[in-house]
Amino acid sequence: MKRRDFLKNTGLASSLFLVPSFVKAFEKIATEQLGFKRLVIIQLSGGNDGLNTVIPFRNDIYYKKRQGIAIPKNKIISLTDDLGFHESLLPLKRLYDQGYVSIINNVGYPNPDRSHFRSTDIWHTATDSDKYATSGWLGRYLDQYGQHPYNGIEVDDSLSLALKGEINNGIATKNAALLFNTAREPYFKKILANPQDAHLSEHNLGYLYKTLIAAESSAKYIYETSKTFKSKQEYPQNPFAKQLKTTAEFINSGLDTKVFYTSLGGFDTHANQPNKQKQLLKVYAEGIESFVKDLKKNETFKDTLILTFSEFGRRVQQNAANGTDHGTANNVFIIGEHLKQKGIYNSVPNLLKLDANGDLIYEIDFRQIYATVLDNWLGVDAKAILFEKSFKKLDFI
Amino acid sequence: MKAKHIQHLFWRAGFGITPAALEIHSKKNRKKIVAEFFENSKKSTPLTVDTSELISTFLNMDKTDKLAKQKLAEANRQKQFELNSAWLLRLTNSKEILREKMTLFWANHFVCQDNNTIYIEQFNNTLRKHALGNLNDFVKAISKETAMIRYLNTKQNRKLKPNENFARELLELFTLGTGNYTETDIKEAASAFTGYNHNLKGAFHFNKKQHDFKSKTFLGETGNFNGDAIIDIILKQKDCATFICKKIYQNFVNDTPNSEHVNQMAELFYPKYDIGELMQFVFNSDWFYEDNNIGCLIKSPVELMIGMYNVVPFEFHDSKSPYYIQKLLNQVLLRPPNVAGWKGGKTWIDSNTILIRLKLPSVLLNNAIIALEEKGEFEDSYQKYYANVSKRKKAIKTTVDWNTFDKNFKKISISEMKDFLLVSPLNTGTRDLLHQLTMDNKQEVCVQLMSLPEYQLC
Repeated sequence: MKRRDFLKNTGLASSLFLVPSFVKAFEKIATEQLGFKRLVIIQLSGGNDGLNTVIPFRNDIYYKKRQGIAIPKNKIISLTDDLGFHESLLPLKRLYDQGYVSIINNVGYPNPDRSHFRSTDIWHTATDSDKYATSGWLGRYLDQYGQHPYNGIEVDDSLSLALKGEINNGIATKNAALLFNTAREPYFKKILANPQDAHLSEHNLGYLYKTLIAAESSAKYIYETSKTFKSKQEYPQNPFAKQLKTTAEFINSGLDTKVFYTSLGGFDTHANQPNKQKQLLKVYAEGIESFVKDLKKNETFKDTLILTFSEFGRRVQQNAANGTDHGTANNVFIIGEHLKQKGIYNSVPNLLKLDANGDLIYEIDFRQIYATVLDNWLGVDAKAILFEKSFKKLDFI
Repeated sequence: MKAKHIQHLFWRAGFGITPAALEIHSKKNRKKIVAEFFENSKKSTPLTVDTSELISTFLNMDKTDKLAKQKLAEANRQKQFELNSAWLLRLTNSKEILREKMTLFWANHFVCQDNNTIYIEQFNNTLRKHALGNLNDFVKAISKETAMIRYLNTKQNRKLKPNENFARELLELFTLGTGNYTETDIKEAASAFTGYNHNLKGAFHFNKKQHDFKSKTFLGETGNFNGDAIIDIILKQKDCATFICKKIYQNFVNDTPNSEHVNQMAELFYPKYDIGELMQFVFNSDWFYEDNNIGCLIKSPVELMIGMYNVVPFEFHDSKSPYYIQKLLNQVLLRPPNVAGWKGGKTWIDSNTILIRLKLPSVLLNNAIIALEEKGEFEDSYQKYYANVSKRKKAIKTTVDWNTFDKNFKKISISEMKDFLLVSPLNTGTRDLLHQLTMDNKQEVCVQLMSLPEYQLC
């Protein structure tokens, strides 16, 4: 290779990457196999305080234990006689009023772990809290039903455990053009243009080549498909809304992606919680409202289910710094057009019956939600994906 | 010793070798070169960062002051970041390279994490101290480490309210592996570790009042066992030797274990449990140098980065850059994903990491750009979570020491370079490509070879 070629190659030159034809041959299969229902997962990262999100405003214990941070009754957007939204969730209330929101209270798992890492791990892998898995629940879904990395997209720059399977992985990108540019490095193209050894397939080297080919192919597919659609919906100006806008463009352009994953960070509110959470929930709710409008306009909302969770809730008793410490059970939001049970799905947490740490005792295992989504929404065998365990399904879809 | 074999040894017992160093070693025999690794690693030099201020703040803090606690947590995170950088630096310049390689291995075996930098630094140095020592002493030391007592809840393990977390992982992940003990064994072992605690400074403290002095039946033996006695009984099981040897084989030889080789290792390891002796045996075995064991392992992100550094030294302009790369490649030292550690091998590689890994040489050595962002931390505020991200958009800047590279590769022709930089067999298509290219500049060829999938293997 000549010097000038090399210099060109290390930058982002503009020749198109040619996907080997045998890879292309697979690209049409996925749609038929996977159906057209999509799942969008949003993690409120850091542990959102669920009690100040969906507020039990008739409960004296709530006010007693949270004298510095409880939301005053006059600021609460009431949903039922005893539950109300945080004021920042007004946009979500509008969706709620249209019957698009189902709130599942008190979701958790046995022997809860209060570490961000570990609890996120548990939610991502869907294991029991004393077991470890190296694959995520959506990754295992991709193992069985996915063909390509782009069947599962994390709208971010690196891939979460949730989207890593035993065999297949999703792909992460929040900017399809950027990923495409990274992948179409002419040097990679040259490497792949030469024939591959068939005998390498079992060797780690074969795996590296195979992954590179899949990455190139997915990056190109995502870029070329998604660029055909530009969202006309107005979104708030913040990184989370931008991620949602990208997700909407991916969906509305007809990308053959079943699962989208994204997160909103900043919920670890150990101190001065009220202002922080107020801002965060506003970012969340405004983003979601624009997202839903965008999907509705393009008639894709009916086939999209949005699930919002946080790795844990926070302690009932506030701390001395007007914040809350890591807790356990929390609420999960399900957003979609044709929900079976709209509004509040189940009763509110019991603030009298707490565990030894003063945390909520969960009522619904999060894997019941996963099982329901897998079976009733994605139409696959949940048991095979949830370590051969049966979880009692819920009735929200 | 054959050049190819020397390279292999240096990749597995360290982080690769330069042609200049290779030339020096080429006249020695295998035994001598292996012995030198051990000779150089005789000493154990603790890894430290300046934690004096942290310690005094910590010891004098009002525990009820939430804001002070927050500040301390932030200071701890900063220090832990420093410790992470110090560890990476250590891997580039330590003479005790085998000890360091083993420390990395053990850190992913006796997996532990602690936000308290003082405790995790101490833990890390315990790994280093015992890395080539006796497994019995090692496991006992680990069981009494403050960070471990906190991480696996041994301090919550009390006579009247046992917590099985440590006992379970001790058996499942640290010593025997599943299937070699029962649930009752876990319960009995847990009761033997009751009363384990630590003081504020991080020293082990045995709290008699919380210890269960009852008679225990563990793995078929009955007695009034304490924690150390339990560890003695575990190590009496040959399964323990086999379990450890298999893991060492998978990490240092081939990720598909060969049971015959593993059994040979276990025969030697049991019952003395001398780790140094075991590693010496592995590196001196003929099978270690068989072709199918050469260049077959996928480098961990840290091995990849340090290996590149050893060929072409470089310096980051921003001290956060190496941390950012670790995050993008899913291996942040001191931040294991869970107590099972990084699974390694193929799990390092997904659609995103493969692109970044192949691009890394251009980024580190040739000022190419990765315009990707790593995720924010759980503890970050909203502003920080996203502010950091936009800040990081700027390229990773490095100063590259090509002089050292030129010196090390002085006697090597361009066509020979692949033999020094790549240890894995070449994909035929790629070999053809390398033949077709007219290459006239060593530095460019170096970056090109490092950008091949083959370079991901060692």
